[in-house]
Amino acid sequence: MSGGGFVRGRDLSQDLKLEVDAVVIGTGAGGSVALRELARAGLDVVALEEGAWLTSRDFDQREDHMLPQLFQDMGGRATEDMAIRVLQGRGVGGSTVHNTNLCKRTPDAILDLWARKYGVAGASAAELRPAFETIERDLSVSEMTAPMRNANNELLRKGVTSLGWRGGPLQHNRVGCQQSGYCELGCAYDAKQNALKVMLPQAVAAGARVYADVEAVRLLHDGERVTGVMAVARAADGTPRAWVDVKARVVVLSASAVGSAALARKSRLPDPHGQLGRGLRLHPGAAVAGRFDGTIEGWHGIPQSYECTEHLSFEEGSDARVWIVTAFAHPIGTAATMPGFGAAHMASMRAYPNIGVLTAMVHDETRGEVAVDDDGRPVLRYAMTEPDRRQLAKGLAACARILLAAGAREVTIPAIPPRRVTTTAELDALDLSFVRPHSVPLTAVHPMGTMRMGENPETSVVRSTGEHHQVRGLFVADGSLFPTSLGGPPQISIYSFALHLAPHVIERARGT
Amino acid sequence: MREASGQGRRVRLTRRRLIQAGVAAALVLGGSAVAVVRTRGYVVPGDRRLAFFSPWQFVVVQHAARRIAAPDRAGDAAIPTADDVDVAGFMDGWIARMQPGVRRDLGRFLGYLEHLAPVGAGFASRFTRLSPADQDTVLASVEAASSDLLRAGFDGLKSLVFMGYYRDPRTWGIVGYDGPLLNRPAGGWR
Repeated sequence: MSGGGFVRGRDLSQDLKLEVDAVVIGTGAGGSVALRELARAGLDVVALEEGAWLTSRDFDQREDHMLPQLFQDMGGRATEDMAIRVLQGRGVGGSTVHNTNLCKRTPDAILDLWARKYGVAGASAAELRPAFETIERDLSVSEMTAPMRNANNELLRKGVTSLGWRGGPLQHNRVGCQQSGYCELGCAYDAKQNALKVMLPQAVAAGARVYADVEAVRLLHDGERVTGVMAVARAADGTPRAWVDVKARVVVLSASAVGSAALARKSRLPDPHGQLGRGLRLHPGAAVAGRFDGTIEGWHGIPQSYECTEHLSFEEGSDARVWIVTAFAHPIGTAATMPGFGAAHMASMRAYPNIGVLTAMVHDETRGEVAVDDDGRPVLRYAMTEPDRRQLAKGLAACARILLAAGAREVTIPAIPPRRVTTTAELDALDLSFVRPHSVPLTAVHPMGTMRMGENPETSVVRSTGEHHQVRGLFVADGSLFPTSLGGPPQISIYSFALHLAPHVIERARGT
Repeated sequence: MREASGQGRRVRLTRRRLIQAGVAAALVLGGSAVAVVRTRGYVVPGDRRLAFFSPWQFVVVQHAARRIAAPDRAGDAAIPTADDVDVAGFMDGWIARMQPGVRRDLGRFLGYLEHLAPVGAGFASRFTRLSPADQDTVLASVEAASSDLLRAGFDGLKSLVFMGYYRDPRTWGIVGYDGPLLNRPAGGWR
């Protein structure tokens, strides 16, 4: 077993052959924890990460510089029909590098549902509590109190309070935050307590090796047992530099609900019941902007520190499946979402410092799919169901109501044409049938559910231990595991499930 | 608030699929038209070397960018133009790094915009030969097209144009953005 460390695949000059106890694919929330736990158990373990190894010195707070480096497809990933933009992380640390630090445990009602309806064993709220507590301690999770609330979040609180709706402060994993507001472009101040800052250095300290710029292209297996991974190291411009062959007793898939499912499909894993890649949930969301007389400058300060849960219930069949938080983008993202073009668009952009923005995210029931195209690229198929569309419409209306209650002079729902209201009476009269994919810009940041866990191999892809039903030694430790949508930010759930399932992975990697 | 009923969904879906199929064919035709009819006569300024665009695509993007990022105050020298910040050049470099499928789709969309979209908007001319006002009419027709595919194409073009435009610190003052905290010049970015 060699010492731990980070290796840049772009620096490799010749093919590499590794023989280890376990290999982890992906270094986000799930992969980093799996890697750390395996290393701490004394096992020889490596991680393969297709993106680059960047550090806080690289995060320059420029959208045009960071989007290509931190996001899949340069930030341009979308569903096959191009209706929903899907922002997914890329690089060492995965999506934990660009997320806004939201920390919420998997709701008890969701865990109950998974046990009752989807046959997930050993993952009750009580059984997961130790994992939640450990992860929250590791990530220094704390509540975002009033002094840390920026103007955009304060207007959400004000509107929610004024309406008498349910809401409250959120918890984040940040220490020493400078409140610069550039979280989604990577933290230049190392304040984000994420996989890059916390978990991966701990894994490396325990002896793990992390190979950046190395893309897993195929899982090696005989249909019953996994034997390793074939991967390619790429230069900064994407050109192949070397093959990396890893022989291992255990492979942990932690490449996201998109990446893991796509790799599994490319590798022709057994799928006797047609479950692999199906069940994709996205948490699709859209934004609503309110124009205020006063200055908001929502790009300053901590994003998403307050939530509205008035229209969010986790009970099965609920008609309240919308989570509302603030959304704010820097000029490029804002301009892309702002309705129209040309002179009218620029005139609207001049109000940038005066707008507050909220987003309604749907706790979705739509079941999409991750397939692969002829080049092996992931294809995301997701046709929003009518009930989910209605939830989206309900959520956008709720956002508009909050903004008006907070004092917005005018509220705009971006659509073609944009819908603008100045009073609740106008809002009440608004026909919301226009709210649908392709008419309203939709964004998703939480893919889930493509390799679901459960005890029944006819309805799930992996066991409740995370191990594949048919292929021994192949585990999943990312959002692919979740049988349904979470209805909230997934990072704590992903970190915690990876920790909760780690003993099973370790046991298999030890050859027992 | 009112919600539209789901009645008639089957009929609309079938019709929409037909329309989408038609639009997809139109996009392919747009690309083919460019290949067959005319790709000459487009002049790329200076000795610029293009990373992805062919000369005709570059010129179409230049024209589209000038309208999509058009200033709201005519003659205001404080507002950089799309050409000032080289939106088309930026897009050329950016798209060259994108996935092949995306590059192909964008190329077809540009062919559609140049040759077919003007016809759909009632003009018997290429997009790049229309007046700015007529180009706005064409772009508005594509933005509001009944086809999801065309609207998505316009959204993609618009997003890239605004990335090319608002990436430049010279544009930040227009929208009151004070720019990154890191490496901020002594006098600010604006």
